[in-house]
Amino acid sequence: MKKVTSARISQLLFLALFLVLFLMTEYRGSDRIVAAVNGFFRANPLTAASTMLAAREYQPLLLPGLLVLVAAVFLGRFFCGWICPLGTILDLVTGRIRKVGAIRALTGRAKYWLLLPLLIASLLGVNLAGLLDPIALLLRALTFFFHPLFGDTVRGGWRSLYGLIGERRDLFDPGYRLLRDYLLPFRETLYPLAFLSALLFVLILFLERYERRAWCRRLCPLGTLLGLVSRLGPLRRIPAKLCADCQACREHCPTSFDRDLLQMEECILCLECSLRCPSQRVRFRFAGPRPQVGTVMERRVFLGGLVGGVVLARGLRFREPAAEAKLLRPPGVRDEDEFLKKCVRCGECMKVCLRSALYPAFFQAGAQGLYTPLLVPRLGYCEYNCTLCGQVCPTGAIPDLGKEEKQRQVIGKAVFDKNHCLPFAKRIDCIVCEEHCPIPGKAIRSERVELTGFDGVKRVVQQPYVVDELCNGCGICENVCPLEGKAAIEVFRVKDRTPLKASSGGASSSGAPPVSDPYVDPYAGGGS
Amino acid sequence: MERRQFIKILGMSSLFLHGWLRNLFAAQGPMVAVAQGTDHAGITRKALAALGGMQQFVKPGQTVVVKPNIGWDRTPEYAATTNPTVVKTVVEECLKAGAKRVKVFDRTCNDPRRCYASSGIESALRGMKGVEVKHLEEERFKKVALNGKVLKEWELYGEALSADVYINVPVAKHHGLSRLTLGMKNVMGIMGGSRGAIHKNIDQALADVNASFRPHLTLIDATRILTAHGPQGGNLADVKVLNRVIASTDIVAADAYATTLFGLKPADIAVTRTAYQRGLGEMNLDKMRIVRV
Ligand code: SF4
Ligand code: SF4
Repeated sequence: MKKVTSARISQLLFLALFLVLFLMTEYRGSDRIVAAVNGFFRANPLTAASTMLAAREYQPLLLPGLLVLVAAVFLGRFFCGWICPLGTILDLVTGRIRKVGAIRALTGRAKYWLLLPLLIASLLGVNLAGLLDPIALLLRALTFFFHPLFGDTVRGGWRSLYGLIGERRDLFDPGYRLLRDYLLPFRETLYPLAFLSALLFVLILFLERYERRAWCRRLCPLGTLLGLVSRLGPLRRIPAKLCADCQACREHCPTSFDRDLLQMEECILCLECSLRCPSQRVRFRFAGPRPQVGTVMERRVFLGGLVGGVVLARGLRFREPAAEAKLLRPPGVRDEDEFLKKCVRCGECMKVCLRSALYPAFFQAGAQGLYTPLLVPRLGYCEYNCTLCGQVCPTGAIPDLGKEEKQRQVIGKAVFDKNHCLPFAKRIDCIVCEEHCPIPGKAIRSERVELTGFDGVKRVVQQPYVVDELCNGCGICENVCPLEGKAAIEVFRVKDRTPLKASSGGASSSGAPPVSDPYVDPYAGGGS
Repeated sequence: MERRQFIKILGMSSLFLHGWLRNLFAAQGPMVAVAQGTDHAGITRKALAALGGMQQFVKPGQTVVVKPNIGWDRTPEYAATTNPTVVKTVVEECLKAGAKRVKVFDRTCNDPRRCYASSGIESALRGMKGVEVKHLEEERFKKVALNGKVLKEWELYGEALSADVYINVPVAKHHGLSRLTLGMKNVMGIMGGSRGAIHKNIDQALADVNASFRPHLTLIDATRILTAHGPQGGNLADVKVLNRVIASTDIVAADAYATTLFGLKPADIAVTRTAYQRGLGEMNLDKMRIVRV
């Protein structure tokens, strides 16, 4: 029934691109990942605006977003009708959903009530835009819920196939490998907030029950921002009003023709009206006469938004001290406040993290840290040679560093709990942590100590200790400690995250242990 | 001759013969081939040839598992993983001997994708017909009764258990706890479950596993060895280039010989000592036939 319009083709292409980029946000055997994977965020005007407002500086990474914003001055909300993947998904499903009519509460100025506080909070240094940004919403729903679910299902099937036919399954291996290498998430991860992410997405779909593109018209802060700037521009539809003799536009327009006057701020420029006008009267023109659209918002809304922003910025700062001790940020993040200003909660870093070290924060970082990435060592650790999260972070909240530089970034410091640690508490050998410590000179070492075991037998036990100057807090020790539940070594947040000295890592450096090192390695020096 | 007298003489002579017999045995003791040279493919082949060639182990149509050390995300020069040239040569020899399929895998400690890529092994074997470089799949682990001293049972990797021939290709390197990791420790790569838990009794535990799962051939890569900060290393200053490959069907003997490359005695390594005491192989150097090629 639907005609294939250019807008539709563009939408589908961008949706496909979005999905391909999503799948490409994964380690594929190369240390670098195509820079384009976060393209949708870099070209996102809301991301650009909120981040630059919060950081109070120009962010070159987000230039594309600014360009789209400028383009919107001339072309209105073309982004919504031609590019936005969430909008496309809504267009694809909305036909199947019966409409019951708009929700009153949302029809007025509700969207400004959302956008304004977000922007003002940004201005006050709390960047929450990502929570409701459509691209971020969609990506999080995919990353935290749908993709893992898909992976789980396929893998589960593959596994049970092994249970059924055993080794004969190898026949299908090539096919499965293809699937595994290109479509499935490589690792199986359950994310906190997965449910919430999916729920939000489903809610947006659910709004289609009331009217077409309900989310886009009534709530979406990105769309609202684009609509707002398009007011300044010269683009007009002619005729601006419904023609008395026809009124077909009411039917064709997916957004803004439920009143007599075209609402330019809601028009997504899909051009349906112009393509389908029976008498071909409709056209879009630059510098048309400005029709009367009324003020953007009443002072009431503006003031309300202002107050809302202040409340958001000031009210959400509370953080629980105990939770803060384990508030580990991705490598390269040195200052919590700066990080919060720049992080748009897109979920890209968590999607790409090799060892499932990164998870969305719930309340660990306070309410204002919702969905920001946290490193949880007991679940995963930061892979020593990996630099992916910095590469995909669209705003540079996690800096994109070279391998050697990243290896020196301090995430936290490891601390032993001697009441737990086997060589201390049980007087038996272990040092799995030392074995796994990736620092070439070993940030965890052990000393041989003669002890009487609790069984009465004298023996030599290796007791581990941390060399603070070498520890970068990657978390592998906490991850691999064989104790159940809580590990006997834990990485804690430290304020001073000055990178480690270069000499501790480099391949060609001497790697000589600090002078104070009491553990004399029996083989040290034997190597030359 | 009376019967009693006969027995007496027999007894006496057996006493007398004892040392002689032992010498005879020693002369036939396990053979350890040590090849040296900068051509790592060449020395690998030479070591294999000294043991009678790969056709001694691999028969046409068989499935072979070659188990290198791919445990860490390190490039080959750091000596934390097995030299890809050595691995490739072993695989080639298997194919030449008529192997139908050669599977190469390891249970890695770091991210498997990175380990496989960085080790150079994946790319060295890419495109070879009949060769599969595989990631481990959880469901293939099978509980095996070991009835050992400390491990009653453990999960071992199904594809290793079902292979016709299993070839162990570790790299020789330092280890913080067991001092060295060699052939017997490399077998840990087919162990499932929480391997960290066996550290509290690592020599007995490894003997338990090695007693029930025996590689047909062990080839130790000592082309370069890691002398400190093992098992991961990461500093070239800890690496020593030796250009050697050691091959034996006796895993304990191979380990024992490799130990000497670090300036240590076989008995210094608890894992070797325990295995020897439990009769898994020879650790006395003078009771092996060490063939240098
Ligand atoms: S650098 Fe560390 S935290 Fe970042 S993606 Fe890689 S493993 Fe994860
Ligand atoms: S791995 Fe855990 S129990 Fe073992 S030595 Fe390290 S901290 Fe202690």
